[in-house]
Amino acid sequence: MGYFEGFRVTFEQLFRPRVTIQYPEEKRPKALRFHGRHVLNKYEDGMEKCIGCELCAGVCPARCIHVRGLDNPPDAPVSPGERYGFVYEINYLRCIHCDLCVEACPTEAITESKLFEFSFSNRQDAIYTKDELLVADDGQPKHLPWEDWREGEDLHTSAWVRATAPNGDADYEGRVAWSAELGYGVRPPEAGQLGDDDAGAPIDDITVEQVAEGGHH
Amino acid sequence: MTEQTETKKDTVTVTVDGKTFEAAPGELVIAAAERHGIYIPRFCWHPRMKPVGMCRMCLVEIEGVRGLPPACTTPVAEGMVVDTRTPVVKKAQDGVLEFLLINHPLDCPVCDRGGECPLQDQTFSFGPGESRFVEEKRHFEKPIAISELVALDRERCIQCARCTRFADEVAGDPLISFVDRGDHTQVLTFPDDPFTSYFSGNTVQICPVGALTASPYRFKARPWDLDQVESTCSTCAVGCRVNLQSSQNDLVRMLGVDSEPVNHSWLCDKGRFGYQAVEHDGRVTHPLVRKGDELIEASWSEAYAAAAKGLADVRDLHGAGAIAFLGGARGTNEDAYAWAKLAKGVLATDSVDCQLDDGLPAAAVLGLPRATIDDACRAKAVLLLGPDLKEELPVLYLRLREAVVDGGVAVVELGPQSTGMTRHAKTTLLYRPGEAVEVARALTSGRDPMPDAGGVRGEELAAAAGILGRAGEGVVVVLGRPSVAESGRTVAEAAAVIAAAWPQARFLPALRRGNVMGALDMGLAPGVLPGRVGLDAGREWFSQEWGVLPEEPGLDAAGIVGAAAEGRVQALVLLGADPINDFPDRTLARRALAGAGFVVAVDTFLTDSSREADVVLPAAMYGEKAGTTTNIEGRVTRVNQKVTAPGTVRSDWIIAAELAQRLGGDLGFDSTAAVWAEIARLAPSHVGLTADVLGRRENRDGVVAPYEGEGPPRHEAPVEQIEAAAAVHQGETLPSEAVAGAPEHAAVDEPSDDDDPAGAGRPPLLTFAVGDAGSTAAPPAVDAYALRLVAGRRLYDNGVTVRHSAHLAGLAPSPRLRANPYDLDRLGLGTGDRVRVTSSRTTLTLEVAADTGIPRGSVALPFNLPGEGAADLIDGTQPVTDLRVETTN
Repeated sequence: MGYFEGFRVTFEQLFRPRVTIQYPEEKRPKALRFHGRHVLNKYEDGMEKCIGCELCAGVCPARCIHVRGLDNPPDAPVSPGERYGFVYEINYLRCIHCDLCVEACPTEAITESKLFEFSFSNRQDAIYTKDELLVADDGQPKHLPWEDWREGEDLHTSAWVRATAPNGDADYEGRVAWSAELGYGVRPPEAGQLGDDDAGAPIDDITVEQVAEGGHH
Repeated sequence: MTEQTETKKDTVTVTVDGKTFEAAPGELVIAAAERHGIYIPRFCWHPRMKPVGMCRMCLVEIEGVRGLPPACTTPVAEGMVVDTRTPVVKKAQDGVLEFLLINHPLDCPVCDRGGECPLQDQTFSFGPGESRFVEEKRHFEKPIAISELVALDRERCIQCARCTRFADEVAGDPLISFVDRGDHTQVLTFPDDPFTSYFSGNTVQICPVGALTASPYRFKARPWDLDQVESTCSTCAVGCRVNLQSSQNDLVRMLGVDSEPVNHSWLCDKGRFGYQAVEHDGRVTHPLVRKGDELIEASWSEAYAAAAKGLADVRDLHGAGAIAFLGGARGTNEDAYAWAKLAKGVLATDSVDCQLDDGLPAAAVLGLPRATIDDACRAKAVLLLGPDLKEELPVLYLRLREAVVDGGVAVVELGPQSTGMTRHAKTTLLYRPGEAVEVARALTSGRDPMPDAGGVRGEELAAAAGILGRAGEGVVVVLGRPSVAESGRTVAEAAAVIAAAWPQARFLPALRRGNVMGALDMGLAPGVLPGRVGLDAGREWFSQEWGVLPEEPGLDAAGIVGAAAEGRVQALVLLGADPINDFPDRTLARRALAGAGFVVAVDTFLTDSSREADVVLPAAMYGEKAGTTTNIEGRVTRVNQKVTAPGTVRSDWIIAAELAQRLGGDLGFDSTAAVWAEIARLAPSHVGLTADVLGRRENRDGVVAPYEGEGPPRHEAPVEQIEAAAAVHQGETLPSEAVAGAPEHAAVDEPSDDDDPAGAGRPPLLTFAVGDAGSTAAPPAVDAYALRLVAGRRLYDNGVTVRHSAHLAGLAPSPRLRANPYDLDRLGLGTGDRVRVTSSRTTLTLEVAADTGIPRGSVALPFNLPGEGAADLIDGTQPVTDLRVETTN
């Protein structure tokens, strides 16, 4: 008997629901505010939100963001105002996805998608340029050939911003304090900051169950 | 400033926020409090300008005074009790900030000031936290260029009047002013009159918001990605202290540092924005060696070998005297010393000149008793015998202007044309070019009645002599080259005449190039050796260390260029010198470059001259190397490296050391610290001035050479006191920013210091007397049909710095011939007419303009402007240049 006693844990596990999945064929839904690859957003009229202020670069603890501003060409402005982000680069070998850049951004130009599944074969490729980070004409992140995007992962690029505002103060829950986005318009706020699920509009299309199921807390 | 004076009535006792301290009577509360660590917020008050009390941010509570007086306009009084943090004061500060922010756009993320903005900082520290203003803000057109260099955003302006006061009070160029009323009050230029002040960049630096921004810096970087180092500007020889700022290894900005004895935080625009040349794409980044007609990129070893072979061949064939060095006034002291040691201690040629016959003879600069800028600003009277300070040494002009306007210093100007200083001078004596000596003789003669001299009327001379006094007591002579078209020797001779007649007069050299004074101190001139000693006087002292020395004095720049044109100088080494553009006589310079069989150019750009070279060795520029520099006073300060040099560019001293090795010598140093250690050990005027001494906190404004050891005051301290002071200092651990490696060299120096505390055995420093300037041929008699040329300079010229700075290049004016309206009338000409100008060298067609600041019989044409100009006309072999001016039709 003593011999089988040792297998007790094993046998118990045999009859429990399986928690492992067949990654990468199969994937878990990601947390709503998962910090993945960045996107640079545009306004509804197609203007870039980034004004090249370098606050993201300034706050970045990994020093992975490089921004350079330039005067907006008066006849074909890239962004509203005087300056636009002429160079915008993120080095993903350094980025720790802390999202401080998203918090620092005064125009919600930089937010994060859910994508973390991308890899490179050399250091140069790890530096995403503005071309790659900028959303496409439909407002969706560009799906680059080496990235493994799954259904729905590109929809929630500004979830963190919409949780609370300004400055992460829960008292501002439900108040829209952000600008409209290309392809989405003004996105609704995220509910549930005060433990009250009815306080705001529901998040567009990921259900609360999905979040609970997929979230590794 | 922190010295406590013992007698009671010299100070008053005040209490600020419970802290009691002594302050000078008349000192403002805001300044006295700041000195004792209590910061009172302010926008309009600036320590270098008069208070106006416009912004109301510095309101404080003073016991017994009704209301809240502004701390910036209230002088301290005995027993005054000030509170800066009471609830009433806090409420006032909240109110002021809320009002200021009503119309201030919150575009901080796109504002160049964002991140280093006093309005931002003080709103965080003292502000209300929230605004109640929800209405639309006032709007103006976003930024308007009020000059080529400054952009104005009127929305951001908080009407502190710092810029308008600076332009009016400090720069003396009141080109910007407030217009309109109420919430539409705005700073503007006058219609069709841009803010073309040479000092406009200072308004950007002192603007407490982002209303004034600098076009060259616009959107280049943000404050948090700047990295900075304190250095000394080397655009001209005033030696302003600066903060050199870079982002991503690019120089992006220079800010003035408040150095009490030098620049009072101000900079000129050429100095402030000239860093753009360092970042220019056209730099020479690799050595070039001539193969046939072309300069081909080569490795350093090839280039060194080619340069050394060329020089060695000339030395072996024609003797060391056939090798000459021109230039070297743009580098550090270490660079200059290395070149001097290579030329004089290895090659044994004395034909070395850091000036291009556009300054003054070295003996005059080094041998006359020296004054500091402060001496000049506190003098009883200043005699200005030199260039237009506003154009050549702009910050010295600011200092002197302040001394005149606020300090009541009397300036007597002596020159061939009126200058920017003329309107501040008590009297201006306009002499005939080439006749400065006669004027100096008359001025110091004390004769009554005074005869006319050099084209100046006797009465004018008498009035000037009356201002200057009889013995030169309290007189500082600012001495430079008033015009490139008249021989520097006559000016030096005039100075010698003044020095002989007025033994108490002191001289402040007004030479132009960045480190020309350092280069002269380091011996880059004929007949001198490092440390302000003559070749013969220093022979024994230096031959022990250097081995060989030149047998006899060599040629100066004029002599070198003349000899090269005749083929007597066979090899020419150009140390950043561009004789084709900078030597007064372009015709002769061209012939010299063609006549010298072998030319080595150590340069940063391919100039008209270095294009003619056989070997071009790329040198590091300002900001790319560390070392020391010397300003017009002889003040030695540090220059620091901020960015890495492009390509394989090297510092001058390394190039000199490598060349020396290939020429069979050894300069004996392997770091800038080692070069300086040798200077501090050997150069008689610099003995003891080690990196350690320079690095001390109390010496952060530099140390004036000749260094006379530690302990105040200079000149007066007996030897025992100096020794005592030195002993005290040795026991202390003083903060030192010494360059790595310096301490061991400093240790090496000590024996020589101890052996030789009072300078026994050291050669005596140079002196300069009448006749030392060499032959000063009298100018030819004035020809009634000719006009005598005056060639001054403009701040923005065709020099390497301006030409390669994107924002400055366009500011160089096109050359115009200016003459007295009387002479123009005589010739039947008016402003704007084109005339044919003929000298013994060439004929040019130029536009003329009437200018009452030019005396009759003279004609002014600025030197070194883009295109053909004064250099083509000047005949360097003559003491003056006479021109024929004719109508073109």
